[in-house]
Amino acid sequence: MGNTLQQPFRTAVLVLVWGWLLLLVFTPNLLVVGASVMTRDPSTFISLPMNLDAYRQLLNPLYLDVFLHSLYMAAMTTLICLVIGYPFAWSLSKVARKNRLLLIFLLIVPFWTNSLVRTYALKLILATNGLLNNALMAMGIIDEPMQMLYTEGAVIIGLVYLLLPFMILPLYTVFEDLREDFLRASHDLGAGRWSTFIHVIVPLTLPGVLAGVMLVLLPAMGLFFVPDVLGGSRNLLVGNVIKNQFLDARNWPFGAAASIMLTLAMAFLMFAHRLSKRRIGEDGV
Amino acid sequence: MSRWLPRTYLTLVYLLLYVPIAVLVVFSFNDSRTGYEWGGLSLRWYEALFNNRAMVQAMWNSLWLALSAATVSTLIGALTALALHRYRFRGKQVLNGMLFIVMMSPEIVLAISLLGLFLMVGLQLGYVSLLLAHVTFCLPFVVITVMARLSGFDERLPEAARDLGASDFTMTRTVLIPVIMPALLAGWLLGFTLSLDDVVVSTFVSGPSYEILPLRIYSMVRVGLKPEVNALGTLLLVFSLVMLMLSQWILLRSKR
Amino acid sequence: MKKLALATMLAVGLTGCSSSEETQVLNLYNWSEYMPQEVLDRFTDETGIQVVYTTYDSNEAMYARLKLLDDSAAYDLAVPSTYYVSKMRQEDLLMPIDRSKIEGFDNLSPELVNLDIDPDNEYSVPFLWGTTGLGVDTADVEGEVTAWADLWDERFEGRIVLTNDMREVFHVALRVLGYPGNSTDPEQIEEAYEKLAELMPSVRTFNSDAPRMPFLEGETDIGMIWNGEAVMGRDALPTLEYVYPQEGIIAWLDSFVIPKNAKNPEAAHKFISFVLTPEISALISEDIGYATPNLAARELLDESVANDRASYPTAEDMINAEFQTDIGDEALQVYAKYWEKLKSGL
Repeated sequence: MGNTLQQPFRTAVLVLVWGWLLLLVFTPNLLVVGASVMTRDPSTFISLPMNLDAYRQLLNPLYLDVFLHSLYMAAMTTLICLVIGYPFAWSLSKVARKNRLLLIFLLIVPFWTNSLVRTYALKLILATNGLLNNALMAMGIIDEPMQMLYTEGAVIIGLVYLLLPFMILPLYTVFEDLREDFLRASHDLGAGRWSTFIHVIVPLTLPGVLAGVMLVLLPAMGLFFVPDVLGGSRNLLVGNVIKNQFLDARNWPFGAAASIMLTLAMAFLMFAHRLSKRRIGEDGV
Repeated sequence: MSRWLPRTYLTLVYLLLYVPIAVLVVFSFNDSRTGYEWGGLSLRWYEALFNNRAMVQAMWNSLWLALSAATVSTLIGALTALALHRYRFRGKQVLNGMLFIVMMSPEIVLAISLLGLFLMVGLQLGYVSLLLAHVTFCLPFVVITVMARLSGFDERLPEAARDLGASDFTMTRTVLIPVIMPALLAGWLLGFTLSLDDVVVSTFVSGPSYEILPLRIYSMVRVGLKPEVNALGTLLLVFSLVMLMLSQWILLRSKR
Repeated sequence: MKKLALATMLAVGLTGCSSSEETQVLNLYNWSEYMPQEVLDRFTDETGIQVVYTTYDSNEAMYARLKLLDDSAAYDLAVPSTYYVSKMRQEDLLMPIDRSKIEGFDNLSPELVNLDIDPDNEYSVPFLWGTTGLGVDTADVEGEVTAWADLWDERFEGRIVLTNDMREVFHVALRVLGYPGNSTDPEQIEEAYEKLAELMPSVRTFNSDAPRMPFLEGETDIGMIWNGEAVMGRDALPTLEYVYPQEGIIAWLDSFVIPKNAKNPEAAHKFISFVLTPEISALISEDIGYATPNLAARELLDESVANDRASYPTAEDMINAEFQTDIGDEALQVYAKYWEKLKSGL
């Protein structure tokens, strides 16, 4: 297309878009990087001199434990989402096309409902006097109410509930693209069900798995309101730690460094995703 | 695999997804104050909700914010998508990359980075800061939606328009915009919902001069069981369902 | 369709704008569950000033937010606890209070004005005072509970609530170990952390928005609670008892302060005066269960409230009681470090 720079419309659009992104994405991120190498200051939040104290603090066993623990919480969430979501997406892709659209619509509806309110609804169910305990006791399955609310388990349940659709949708996309002739070929070549699954289905759906992991793992580290409501205000996620550093303890360099760790984790996952896609591209076609 | 196994499984997962929502709706009509027991049918929590001045104000604030954030991000997002689709320019990959990063990066990272920016330039935290933040996180979703629509679009149409002497602007207005209309609508709706639902970013970039619903709900939910939250949640559910169905209807109509 | 959407947007836009017409606004930043709605409504009815009421759940959060929004003059009135008044005053974050615009200051108890935290009350006016003690649901707890140390009893495993307040939680552990509650000694703080780490498996939840709620919801049987919360909680849960532990309760005085850049200090002064009205002060104390420093109001109090040991402790209850003091940023960082770890449930 032979547009020239003189065209005012084109210029205006580009200036607007670039301006917005530079001002509200690039600069702020630069500021975070900057803040992470400054010194904590009780009165002005950050001050010179520049140093790597915040990063050193992150590697301090005390904080490292906190970080690793929240990574564990997010990883558990992701794993459960995957275990539930994989067969779900598979089953969904086998449903007749007409019903499938309705089912996907039903999958998305909860996503359009306020997530805080849905988290709160889980509280009604999991509480000691809540619906689940009452139901189980009425059925005579348990005598004493179980303690579910304000546990790590409750937080993981909450995260899974909020994030499950984000695992299912990318998985569904890869299952939909899964070509029946590959499976038939594998079968014709004498591969059993299990061997087809391991050698054909899993590698072909890997990009979907990684996309799902990306869409679940990262938010699962940041959604600080879930532990606030379901976890008894414990710092179970990196998100809680970052929020505390900015809104309570006023240690901005440390909070900034922690959020950079999160960003790096994201970059790593994106890289892995890209790599897996490329491999499929070479081997698969 | 037999057929009933996947079906049972699907049903089970859907059940799990919808039980909490059902509980919410049912309990919003519960007369009991304690929250766990059933105390008879009542509309008192809806009444309490609408009698709460601050709550109603927060509702209007949120609605207005979501409307404006969705509109601005649709506008900028559509233009961005058009630019990415039609123009060749230096740094296109960088632009693409930046949008992708916004979409993928954890909300909390975006939140603190924007807070830092607003503080540095001395912007008062309130409507403007919320709007800027919300538009920023909605933007990539609009761009993707519109791009998807554009990629299946016949390239010869704009060429023909230009050959007929239409300027770039006229061509965009008369040829492109009608084509991407459904995508604009979908993007707008997505932005609207994202904005109405956001807690993480808003926690950081809002001030007392502009209180919004999610933060109001957040402080209520932290206090403990508040039956008003059930009523509010039900209202929000109905509201988004209506929006969703409306959009489906418009999309179906536009396809015809 | 387009027209309809446009019309809707326009309509909402207009309502959105009309709501921000020229009414006077007071931005009040207060602890959650710390002001009856009735008081706010009556203030608005009487003066025409709208109250924008936002809440926090810890002094740290309030302080951080005030500093964050320092320049943008977001809040007109805040309610820090004892030592935060002196901290904020020394850091030049507060606006002097014009006593000529305050009515009813003389009604305040002489014991609670002109304290070290703010000599001559140049920057603060006492709002309420109260204590942090032990809340016990006697329906579920057998035997008598008399001390903070009882929390470490194994039978309370999974049944304890702590306030979501770093200083208070450490205060308890320090007292149990026999150290001062305002210790700045890193070794003592570390010891307190280790003591608290032993307690953590028993801790069900942290709550500083409304520590009575976990009791009412049946999640906890015992734990730290503010006296007013215990009083409020009794309405729904009559077996909730407030205990003054042997090691001493934590006492605090929450005062109104006006941030230095407040946009509407006039309204802030008016609100303080309004709250100091004996009738209003009495209403607040009766409604939320904390003790009013307003002596004129105490005479108006309902007999049952005035004689309620939970709201108005006797001299005997106050033995060993300790006010929190400003311990400086350095010690605070030591606390903060251990607090972070403690709250990760590790």
